[in-house]
Amino acid sequence: MSYAVMTSNSRRRFLQTIGAAGAVGTAALAGCFGVDDDEDDVEVGDEVPELQFVFPTSGSNPDRNELGGFISENLEELGFEVDRQELDFDPQIQQATVDLDFGLNLSGWGGTPERIDPGIFLYDMHHSSNTGEGGRNGAGYENPDYDEIAEAIMAETDQEARRELVMEAQEWLAMDQSRCYIANEGGVHPYNAERLESVNPGLGEGLNGFWNFMEAEPADDVDQVTFGYSSDIFSLNPMQDLTTPDRQFIRLLYDPLYRFDEGGIPTPWLAVDEPDVSDDGTTFTVEIREGHTFHDGEEVTTEDVKFSYELFAEYSPTYATYLSGVEDIETDGNEIIFQLEEPDATFASNALGQIYVFPMHIWEDIDDPVNEDDEDYIGSGPFQFDDWEREVEMQLSRFDDHFEPPNIERLIRVPGDEDALVDNIESYEIDMLGVNPTTTQIDRLEDDENIGMAQFDAVGHAFMNYNMRRDHYKDVQLRRAISHCVPKTEFVEEIRGGQGSVTHSPIAPAIEEWHNPDVDEFDGDLDAARETLEDAGYVWDSDGRIHYPPDWDDDDVQMFLSVDG
Amino acid sequence: MGLREYVIRRVFQLILTLWTLVTLLFILFRMVPGDPTSRFVMDYPSDAERQARIEELGLNEPLYIQYIEYMGQLLQGEFGDSAHYRQPVSEIIFPLFLNTIVLMFTALIIAYTVGILFGAAMGWFRGSRFERVGIIATLVARASPEFWIGIILVWIFVFQLGLFPRSGIGGYGGELTMNFVDRYINFDFLRHLILPALTGAIVYLATPALLMRNTMLEVLKADFVEIKQAEGLPERTVLYKHAARNSILPLVTVAAIATGAAMGGSVIIETVFNWPGVGREMVASVSRNDYPVAMAAFLLMGTSVIVMNFVADILYLYLDPRVKYE
Repeated sequence: MSYAVMTSNSRRRFLQTIGAAGAVGTAALAGCFGVDDDEDDVEVGDEVPELQFVFPTSGSNPDRNELGGFISENLEELGFEVDRQELDFDPQIQQATVDLDFGLNLSGWGGTPERIDPGIFLYDMHHSSNTGEGGRNGAGYENPDYDEIAEAIMAETDQEARRELVMEAQEWLAMDQSRCYIANEGGVHPYNAERLESVNPGLGEGLNGFWNFMEAEPADDVDQVTFGYSSDIFSLNPMQDLTTPDRQFIRLLYDPLYRFDEGGIPTPWLAVDEPDVSDDGTTFTVEIREGHTFHDGEEVTTEDVKFSYELFAEYSPTYATYLSGVEDIETDGNEIIFQLEEPDATFASNALGQIYVFPMHIWEDIDDPVNEDDEDYIGSGPFQFDDWEREVEMQLSRFDDHFEPPNIERLIRVPGDEDALVDNIESYEIDMLGVNPTTTQIDRLEDDENIGMAQFDAVGHAFMNYNMRRDHYKDVQLRRAISHCVPKTEFVEEIRGGQGSVTHSPIAPAIEEWHNPDVDEFDGDLDAARETLEDAGYVWDSDGRIHYPPDWDDDDVQMFLSVDG
Repeated sequence: MGLREYVIRRVFQLILTLWTLVTLLFILFRMVPGDPTSRFVMDYPSDAERQARIEELGLNEPLYIQYIEYMGQLLQGEFGDSAHYRQPVSEIIFPLFLNTIVLMFTALIIAYTVGILFGAAMGWFRGSRFERVGIIATLVARASPEFWIGIILVWIFVFQLGLFPRSGIGGYGGELTMNFVDRYINFDFLRHLILPALTGAIVYLATPALLMRNTMLEVLKADFVEIKQAEGLPERTVLYKHAARNSILPLVTVAAIATGAAMGGSVIIETVFNWPGVGREMVASVSRNDYPVAMAAFLLMGTSVIVMNFVADILYLYLDPRVKYE
């Protein structure tokens, strides 16, 4: 009986492979294995199809490129065939994230304080509603039981109950391995220790962190601090598509109601106190500071706040979604009242902490806020905009009337090639760098006692997605076996020279409040990989090539371990 | 064929070449995977926002419609708006282009002045040790990668001697101005200009030097050189006033084409010295799939090469009466 099942199954798979690999080669192969089977008397199913492995080129990301090579070698040693597809940044996104044309995709998520709340990593990246083209759930993980947990995490307002859910969610994700989380890459940013008495690297951001620009302490005679970064700002207008460096400077110019503190908790900023939340969790009342002004001297009022929230809701491609649940916004003296359609545990961190207050008297006259900017970028933030020439530099200065003025009087942002900027640090021409030097550069920089090194942990991570839309990545045991082939420790210790830390969960260990240290671990263990496959019934032919179990049935695959566990 | 007819025919060819260039560029850029929204794909809350942006950019239209629209725009002298910066392409490219021109012209002037004088001397002293060493040195300079020359110069002049700044076009935090004089005519700018210009000069020097030497060898066999020598003129006068002058003709073409190509900037020199020029932007815009900027940058460079070629041809007519319009 089992033989009959295998044959029909084989034929179906054979027909499928013809489409992918071309008829002649496949037919020849199929013939060979038929003979093999008879000779060795080993009953095997079909060959596990080639793994289409997409990873960055060495130009796009040298560390991950090297890791991609290591993983491929391990997989080949185990008996898989690997189609290595090394791609540059944009082509990789297009192919793997938009077109979803991948089997394995080695990629990563950047981490900023906005992502310290576990909502984004646990909900957005694993909920079944985000599996479409370009969606954040690139693995295509669709587990109805997990969806329930993820939704509960977004709605639960009780901190302790939410914490339990977050711990459980991480356990499930580690069991199911829809994505193999590899490492929090962290890093080290150099600065001129002669000209800066202290810096304050932020979690996940290093010297790009908001609190670094606020609290970095220049030496006595230093009134201008230059900051280098590998690319220029694209836009300071949140009504446009923004990259992380854009957001990192927009937040210096504009104030939100709440700022993320160094631990990622939204704390009152333009607001005087925590928001007053109604018992049913749908009304948020926020009181704002009196007497704070914009850079042009006009006072910041609740009318500006209401105007800005409405502006973002209508035009911002990235922020509008945080406001989609807002039914109504009202003002009452110094208070602003948000009426939500339903309770939302993330409203404070997503909306109140990330929507900036824009001056109504300027932006109400801008007809097309997406394509037109306020060219003076008048905000009410701790820094004010002075001047900017693309690819040359951006000049900001301290807003002396701010309620929390920074220590730096004048801040110059210099974009450029990374190697040139590292040299600039070494020739003492710039004061801080917001990118990681290479390991050899770090060795050199460490020899110079005038240069300080700011270490920081990551919030984001490097990971490898499995494309669960494809049959052969549906089996949870196969995914777990492949995850065993990812040498995480080697990646951090050897490839990255000790920068960063190994992780097994989407929530970084640096976020102690939410991180679950007690989940299934996978770390470059080929014996464990082999054992996992053997236990699941996979077999090897005489060439060492891996095959499905003889009685394999695509429709009867166990996709998730978490359902039983 | 008269001069006028020749020029008209060349202008017509020039237009045809440009049109082919634009069309090729247009197709090539769109064959690259991805579009201007790829970079932000993970930032859009859902695919709908991304699709809206694609529609706004007109990228959902069939390719031939996009092509017709682009050509229409181009005929009106417009490069359109950058998909990335949401600014007119001309606003983005112009300051960068100016930086590139200043750098490359300086490099070319040094390269061609030194190269021509040096090449003439090599030809004159044929067979001497000076010539042998000169040729080797020129070939080494020519074969060295630009970034390597740049790095060596940085190592010597920045880190060992501390004479020049490492990169950029001006002291950080200075006044940002588009006024040509304030921007480029000052000591600080000059200090920043020297190393990248020198790098370019070393790289570009080989062509005029070797070419000059070769033509000199031909010219030196001519009777008039012997006659001038027989007249008792000083060697230097014969070398530079008579022999070199007559050897310079082939260099006109080479110089014109080099000038055209230099308009596109040198990606490598600009990267090594963090020079905000059009070459770097060209590469960046390609990697971001910012079609309008990439098209404009390549078009600018391509047009310069084509136009300078044309200029060289026309110049020839005046410089050498023996050249016929055929």
